[in-house]
Amino acid sequence: MILLRLVQAFLASIGRSVLELLAATGRLTLFAADALSHLVRPPFYPGEFGRQMLRIGYFSLPVVGLTALFTGAALALQIWSGGDRFNAGTVVPSIVAIGIVRELGPVLGGLMVAGRVSSSIAAELGTMRVTEQIDALTTLSTDPMKYLVLPRVLAGLIAMPMLVAVANVIGIFGGYLVGTTRLGFNPAAYIKNTLDFLEPADVATSLTKAAVFGLLLALMGCYNGYHSGRGAQGVGEATTNAVVSASILILAANYLLTEAFF
Amino acid sequence: MAGAAPRIELRDLRKRFGDNQVLAGVSLKVMPGESLVIIGGSGTGKSVTLKCILGILTADAGEILIDGQPLARVDRRAFLRHFGMLFQGAALFDSLTVWQNVAFRLIHARHAPLGRRAARDLAIAKLARVGLGPETADLYPAELSGGMQKRVGLARAIATDPEVIFFDEPTAGLDPIMAGVINDLIRELVEEMGATAVTITHDMTTVRTVADHVAMLHGGIARWSGHIDEMEASPDPYLQQFIHGRAEGPIETVR
Repeated sequence: MILLRLVQAFLASIGRSVLELLAATGRLTLFAADALSHLVRPPFYPGEFGRQMLRIGYFSLPVVGLTALFTGAALALQIWSGGDRFNAGTVVPSIVAIGIVRELGPVLGGLMVAGRVSSSIAAELGTMRVTEQIDALTTLSTDPMKYLVLPRVLAGLIAMPMLVAVANVIGIFGGYLVGTTRLGFNPAAYIKNTLDFLEPADVATSLTKAAVFGLLLALMGCYNGYHSGRGAQGVGEATTNAVVSASILILAANYLLTEAFF
Repeated sequence: MAGAAPRIELRDLRKRFGDNQVLAGVSLKVMPGESLVIIGGSGTGKSVTLKCILGILTADAGEILIDGQPLARVDRRAFLRHFGMLFQGAALFDSLTVWQNVAFRLIHARHAPLGRRAARDLAIAKLARVGLGPETADLYPAELSGGMQKRVGLARAIATDPEVIFFDEPTAGLDPIMAGVINDLIRELVEEMGATAVTITHDMTTVRTVADHVAMLHGGIARWSGHIDEMEASPDPYLQQFIHGRAEGPIETVR
């Protein structure tokens, strides 16, 4: 009898978790649909969108660029030492290029921007919720979804591919620096090798991933901030949830997109 | 005023949060040009009532009528265009300067938005009306004291000369002198503009300065309502306990 009750309680807890997950997915989907529906419904706030492009795109450049530079450099060394075991050290330029463009550029860029931007969006909107600024927007005849959420989500969607395009170039340049200064590659041959192996499909994969990651990280920041609980603790939780959920969704979406483009 | 439809009317308004029935049938009327002050202890549903009228929260049951029309049938955007609101903590937008806060609705108006220069001039005029000089216009809210933030919030609430203004705890967190200044400003502005005003507060000085009519919320209903002149003489024990701030009485207090 006790065993039966334990099994029931265990199954009930799984059921509850699944239901909560489905409900959360539904809420997030409705939130995203509501935000994106404002794309075709005026008024629009181009000034707000421009500010968010600067914040998400331009001001994230240093962190994304440095991440790409060091990743490209480390990748070149790893491939050289790993490839050397079966006399394949010369594939460094092509593997660095493909590795950075198809995988590491968008994924690491996405994770770095998630840490930087999702958290700051969640903290900003959470504080606006707690201090009634979001309610104030409503009383000033301004839809918060239109004024706050859409510009951020749209900026994430558009700025991330631009950021990742730059990150890809910097990442490849990191590999080039190590390849030519430490591993003895001829500079012209390194560049030729890189360009010969990269295909338009690699770049398309990279930018598509970046756009999806940008959408996800901005959406998670907005969703968690917009629904922040009361007080400093509520804002803190919203910020943590935004970064954690954005990172997990980026990694999951990366796998699904890689399967789709495989 | 006889025969005029109430500007705002609440009929049997109900709202529940989980197990907590905050509003259990609130009925109130606010006539055009009247200043109604809603009083009541913390957690009695004053802010919830206000947010239901503004459409920020949706009531579970009951009716809200604006000029005799159910709120659901009123064009929400047009309805809000005629409203101004002063929030408890002023709720100024941190990322905008003072003048941009005051002129927010004018700059972002869907029809015929004001240009930046005209909006700034108008914002400075409204700031002057609440006793702030033009030097404050380009400051950010974080650079202002609590009293100044309230004044900016007040300037924002009256920026479009609204027909109805809501004040949510207008003197909360202010020293008595600044509270007195804000109360006097509210009374002056409401009379000057001929606006209908709804104020929620538990500050009795505000009640005595601002109110034409008073309604007291307790137990989820409007326990007492009447003209300000009838308040002191009312035999209602709940009202008497509240307005005189007595610990003893029918309203339970936690020590």
